[in-house]
Amino acid sequence: MASLQDRAKLFPSSPLGAAWRLCWPILVALGLGVLMQLVVRPSIDAYSSTQILNIGIAIILAVSLTIVNGFTGQFSIGHAGFLAVGGYVAGSVAFYGSFAIFGSGSAKLGLLSGSGLYSAPAGAPLITSGELLFFGALLTGGLVAALLGYAVGLPSLRLRGDYLAIVTLGFGEIVRVLIQQTPQVLMTREAIAESPAWKVPLSVGGSLGFGNVPKYTSLFWVYAAVVITLIFAYRLKQSSTGRALLSIREDEIAAEAMGVRTTYYKVWGFAIAAFFAGIAGGLYAHTLGISLSPVDAGFQKSFDIIIMVVLGGLGSISGAAIAAAIVTYLPELLRSPETLEKFAVIGVPLLVVGFAMLGMASRNVSEGERRAGVDRRALPRFILGLGTIILGLSVLAFFARKFKINLGDYRLIIYALALIIMMITRPQGLLGVREVWDSALYRPVRDFFAPRHGRRAS
Amino acid sequence: MTAVNMLDTADVLAGVGAGTDALEVRDVSKSFGGLKAVQNFRLSLPPRGLYGLIGPNGAGKTTCFNLLTGVYKPDQGDVTIGGESLLGLRPSQIAAAGLARTFQNIRLFGELSVLENVKLACHLRTTHSMAGAICRSSWQRAEEAAIRERALALLQVFNLLDRQDESARNLPYGDQRRLEIARALATGPKVLLLDEPAAGMNPQEKVDLRKLIREVRDVFRVSILLIEHDMGVVMDLCERITVLDYGMVIAEGPPEEIQKNPKVIEAYLGKE
Repeated sequence: MASLQDRAKLFPSSPLGAAWRLCWPILVALGLGVLMQLVVRPSIDAYSSTQILNIGIAIILAVSLTIVNGFTGQFSIGHAGFLAVGGYVAGSVAFYGSFAIFGSGSAKLGLLSGSGLYSAPAGAPLITSGELLFFGALLTGGLVAALLGYAVGLPSLRLRGDYLAIVTLGFGEIVRVLIQQTPQVLMTREAIAESPAWKVPLSVGGSLGFGNVPKYTSLFWVYAAVVITLIFAYRLKQSSTGRALLSIREDEIAAEAMGVRTTYYKVWGFAIAAFFAGIAGGLYAHTLGISLSPVDAGFQKSFDIIIMVVLGGLGSISGAAIAAAIVTYLPELLRSPETLEKFAVIGVPLLVVGFAMLGMASRNVSEGERRAGVDRRALPRFILGLGTIILGLSVLAFFARKFKINLGDYRLIIYALALIIMMITRPQGLLGVREVWDSALYRPVRDFFAPRHGRRAS
Repeated sequence: MTAVNMLDTADVLAGVGAGTDALEVRDVSKSFGGLKAVQNFRLSLPPRGLYGLIGPNGAGKTTCFNLLTGVYKPDQGDVTIGGESLLGLRPSQIAAAGLARTFQNIRLFGELSVLENVKLACHLRTTHSMAGAICRSSWQRAEEAAIRERALALLQVFNLLDRQDESARNLPYGDQRRLEIARALATGPKVLLLDEPAAGMNPQEKVDLRKLIREVRDVFRVSILLIEHDMGVVMDLCERITVLDYGMVIAEGPPEEIQKNPKVIEAYLGKE
């Protein structure tokens, strides 16, 4: 009698391969981070750099929420609570840690940290001791958020649907109000020395905000974290655990009957999502120009993240990432007709062609459908859609210029309208549950790389 | 030619069903408020037995299945597999103990592909951790490969290999029913509970289904208990039949006896 494990033992394994699979995501993360910080950043202006940084943080947030709302199908609307917890914990550790270790609350920047005008001088070391503290602070923030996620999830994830949504909403509000009650930030060594020790890390400014966090966050840190988050989420989704999470979304009763410990996986999904939200919060807290405030734990912030996840398609990692970029960048884009025009002519075609037929991507075209000509209709539909977007943006820009309307004033309305149209025409979001690379367009490429079975590994 | 055709399917599937343990149900009762849904339900299913559970609509058949699989907790009585009590266990633990089921109103994971549906059910028998999945450890890869191999072999047995990449919800009805059985078998059960497997099937599909259920019993060495309204299927397939009416067992025996039993005729057709 052969069990699954007996069969598994028959497959070859190599320790070198395992080590490689463990290491390459880290290498890619470091590589992209260094590239963004040392090559991309010097060649663009500070404004673009800030936008790219914000997009990165949004991607981490959206992908983390995808694990809860997308994979397990639990509707959490308190995600910003974890963002705030991670941000405040990391900020507090870095700020008061700096005082304890370096004697002052300012950042000790290396070449890989800092953004905008606030950068390390030429010839500074790549990594300083201050950045190690920052790294530790980020992890601490993430872990505290994850613990809190576990603690909140354990009792509440027995609830379903609307009930869970209300609990998570309540959680976010509790975090917000608790942060409001915290004492003032201790700005000097003397003030820290006078305050009771237990009170020091809790002194994070209350409703006045916590703006003194050392500004370490840079394109390096953000994009390294983005890569790790994306690969983590992808590996989670494409594994036995991931299928267990997805099955809960599809049918909780059937999942349980097939042996999936639904509560266990829901709580773990919640904790993992909270961890990455905490990391994003830490990065956000250390960003130049940001002053953490209790509002960051509020419902508005949670809702921004939910919009990204829903827009991208519940369950799609790449969809959430793309939607995060769009939702973060769109309001900026609408600030002036010129950028809008430029974007319509250059940006849109590049983006859309780059993602290669989003409409098709969310569909897993079967042999029958292919024969029936679904593939043939997809290309004209794609070109039509592309044309509509370019035309729409151009018309918008034209009228804005003609009537001297400042689109910036109306950008939230335009943005909301775009969302409404999107939800009416494509309620499953940009990509549904699929990923960009699931598109039928890539099938030949996939088949080429998977010659062993001749079929897509799923 | 797919990879599976070249493998020895029987070898891959060996050990999916264990086939040595019997299901014993002793005097299980369940009330919902004042309604006695099931009273003193008894059943003794031997290894590799193929038994039926019938009764008029609302007799409590599906409630019995829900009691056995832990969806409801019995008020009294005991359910054992191979002498091991299932009382008080969660449905997932009962699945781990070797009791798998299909659903009357099909409950597939609609958005997942056919292959993923079966792969998910193999999850129960895996031993790698979540950290292993994230790091892609050697053992996780080996188990994933074994899961894929087993899932493909199951799909081949159920003639669903060509549709492996399709979303489960897009399958025709008969295929969905068969996929549910394949998925239940992927959990590696000792006992398989089928809730109206022939519902909604056309006559030809029903003929194929009878053959399939017998094959499942023999190849996977599982005991099968099935609820079915189609008397042709039940009388042809089942070795023994239990009849429920108003939550009580009114008859138990081989098909020939059941057909002649006056109580059963009365329950179905009414008294003169």
